Amino acid sequence: MSKRAVTMLVILAVAWGGLALALTNDMAPKLGLDLKGGTSVILRAPEGTDSDVLAKAVEVMRSRIEAIGGVQEPEIQVSGDRNVLIQLPGVTNQEQALSVIGQTGQLSFRPVLAERTAGDPFAGLLDTTTTTNPTPTSTTAPADDSTTTSSSTTTSSSTTTTTTTTTLPGIDPDSGLTIADDPTQPGWLAQYAEDGTIAEVLLVGGTDLMGDQVDEALPFFDPTENRWVVQLGLDSTGADAFEAMTKQAAQYGLYIDPQRRIAIVLDGEIMSAPWVTPDEGIAGGTAIISVGSQQEAQDLSVVLRYGSLPISFERLDVKKVSATLGSDSLQAGLVAGLGGLILVAIAVVFYYRVLGLVTVLGISVFGSLLIATIGTLGRVQGLTLTLSGVTGIIVSIGITADSYIVFFERIKEEIREGRSLLLAVDEGFARAFRTILTADTVSFMGAFLLYALAIGPVKGFALSLGIATVVDVIVAYFFTRNVVGILARTGFGEGGWFSIRGATGVALEGSTS
Amino acid sequence: MSTFSRLYRADTSFDFVGNARRWLIISGTIVFVSLAGFVIRGLNLNVDFEGGVIVQVANETNATVADMRAALTAIGLGDARIEFLDSLDGATAFRVRTPALDEALESELVHTVADTGGVGIEETDVEAVGPTFGAEITARAIQALVVFLVVVALFIAWRFEWKMAMAGLTALFHDLIITFGVYALVGFEVTPATVVAVLTILGYSLYDTVVVFDKVTENVESWSDSHTYTEIVNRAMNQVLMRSINTSLTSLLPVGSLLFVGSYLLGAATLREFALALFVGIAAGTYSSIFVASPLLAVWKEKEDYWQLHRRRLEGRREAKLTKASAGRTSAPRAARPPTVGGVTPRPPKKRKKR
Repeated sequence: MSKRAVTMLVILAVAWGGLALALTNDMAPKLGLDLKGGTSVILRAPEGTDSDVLAKAVEVMRSRIEAIGGVQEPEIQVSGDRNVLIQLPGVTNQEQALSVIGQTGQLSFRPVLAERTAGDPFAGLLDTTTTTNPTPTSTTAPADDSTTTSSSTTTSSSTTTTTTTTTLPGIDPDSGLTIADDPTQPGWLAQYAEDGTIAEVLLVGGTDLMGDQVDEALPFFDPTENRWVVQLGLDSTGADAFEAMTKQAAQYGLYIDPQRRIAIVLDGEIMSAPWVTPDEGIAGGTAIISVGSQQEAQDLSVVLRYGSLPISFERLDVKKVSATLGSDSLQAGLVAGLGGLILVAIAVVFYYRVLGLVTVLGISVFGSLLIATIGTLGRVQGLTLTLSGVTGIIVSIGITADSYIVFFERIKEEIREGRSLLLAVDEGFARAFRTILTADTVSFMGAFLLYALAIGPVKGFALSLGIATVVDVIVAYFFTRNVVGILARTGFGEGGWFSIRGATGVALEGSTS
Repeated sequence: MSTFSRLYRADTSFDFVGNARRWLIISGTIVFVSLAGFVIRGLNLNVDFEGGVIVQVANETNATVADMRAALTAIGLGDARIEFLDSLDGATAFRVRTPALDEALESELVHTVADTGGVGIEETDVEAVGPTFGAEITARAIQALVVFLVVVALFIAWRFEWKMAMAGLTALFHDLIITFGVYALVGFEVTPATVVAVLTILGYSLYDTVVVFDKVTENVESWSDSHTYTEIVNRAMNQVLMRSINTSLTSLLPVGSLLFVGSYLLGAATLREFALALFVGIAAGTYSSIFVASPLLAVWKEKEDYWQLHRRRLEGRREAKLTKASAGRTSAPRAARPPTVGGVTPRPPKKRKKR
């Protein structure tokens, strides 16, 4: 068997096999809210909430939901004076999405005043001797600062602090934690380990440095230090407060005195409490927070970026919703779309004869690969297909058909210039592929930029268009080229009306110049 | 030979560029009308952009979405969005969204919805809602779009040349304005799906133009010795004409089917929102790559010193040929020498190596 035939069979197997696998393994594309329905949540803000604050909260929720990647196109809108209506498509990540949007999410940076271990819940309430293992996190000045070198090492030396306290109102006697955290007041707060147990308890001070003063927080790998860090950027008022706070902390002994640490607190829970490594305040509003793993860096940056909902919401109502588009519309759309495709098939077969059949087969390969890819992404990444996505696909079918047309018109042209059929097919593909690549590059750039920069339904559309563009190039290169190459060597090449030459309108003997 | 079989064999020789002025005037008029419609009538933004009213009622009568739709159609609100809510305890409810309405119609809406659900008016929940496709999404989409246009222009300028980039962008804006113009004039609702359709049109319009320019570039490489730029563009246009027609056909058939069969025969009004934008946009995209982008490019390039000189040289040569052919005429005028452009040495166009 020739190399062409093998390649062709492989791609057919991959496409159709992939489709079959996707459909049988419950990996069919997940449909969005408009096509399939989902969950509707109503959240209520405290009375008298300013409408600007409400709008800001909607924005924060959208970022959060999109950041977890589980739900592609949430629909969020302000309803009435103080309600927010959120509609989430799909089911699998519903719980996660609900927990994320339901968080009141008040983020603050707090000076650490004292520490004690968990375990003995009453330990901090009476005279105690505490031992603690600091987490391997630290705050340092921006990357060029040489003091960062030592900060990544985990200090295992135990610290002994004697704290004298009495049982205070507002402290939970079972856990020894502050019951309701007010960021402007000191409080005993815990950092939880992954399994939900208390890893560390710290007494943090009141602060006025809140999450809405964070401009940016990006996770990245620091190659010089060989570890993951989060780059933090604060706005101008935040920068001043941060400098004052770190200056204060820098007076204490590094890795010895807990007061050298700054706690990052979300909703009364300590997310991270890095040490301040430079011996002076960190000025300029930027800082590097070193953390252990990539996952930790990403999680922390999400918390920092989206962690500050300006208000706390109460969950009012959770319900299942039907498809907003309505199943009648969807059915009509499918019938109409299918009808249109059949018309296209008839037109190309009439026009390009045997090559038209190749087009029809090629579009089925394209469709199979696309559905399998979207299904897989739905499973792995939570990609949901909405009407916007379906639109992207319908249009990409048109663009794919164009790739065939560009190729076939090329073959006709080459043959009219007097080339032999085999040469025309090879040369025609080489030239047509260049055109297809150029045009697809434009489409792909568009899709990529829209995906990277836009939000909401536009993102869903861009993703399916981008995938479709890549699949188009793959199908053209591995499928179409080989099939046409094989056909040209068989009776379908030079034969009668239905053949490739038949489609060029140039008779075998009378080739024009 | 019929026009169709000439088309089939790419044997046509339509003079696309020669009529450039006419095409540009036609396009200019359409664009002007579109802009006027846009300014005078404005766009009819739907509830997703503008916000509106949500009416929610319990469903005591076990009505279906179709029942609710029929009841709303009777009061002229057939294209309201209807959601069927399903709580865990089995109780169902409806949530109906419409754009902001005047007081009379709103009260009619509330009555209708309450009747269909089988509950009293006092048990319906009416609330004004903000947009789902809010300012933030719009702003981000526009930002993405601007970056996209700049990057694409740079790409075309790098891959071809910057005049092609500019001509392509002109055609693109032409298509966009026409599409929005149709929406403004017909008064169709603009929905988030329309916005997505418009983004599609951008890609389609550019894709089409790039294919034509690719052919022009190739022809410049192999034809420029004996043809003027206009002739090269014309030739390219005739070569890709069949491809343009076929491509539009294969794109317009499914979209047209969605538009006409889906939304008019089967009564799915929601599909109309994006099918119409796609249909108009794709048609305009094909038209503009042939009648706007290419003539514009040809007219613009002909103004370049190199191509002007080239044209005069060719005209001179052709006239000389003609003179030689008409033997016997002793006093035939000598072919005029091509005039030179004072002080400027014309630059030949960059020739790219074939890849």
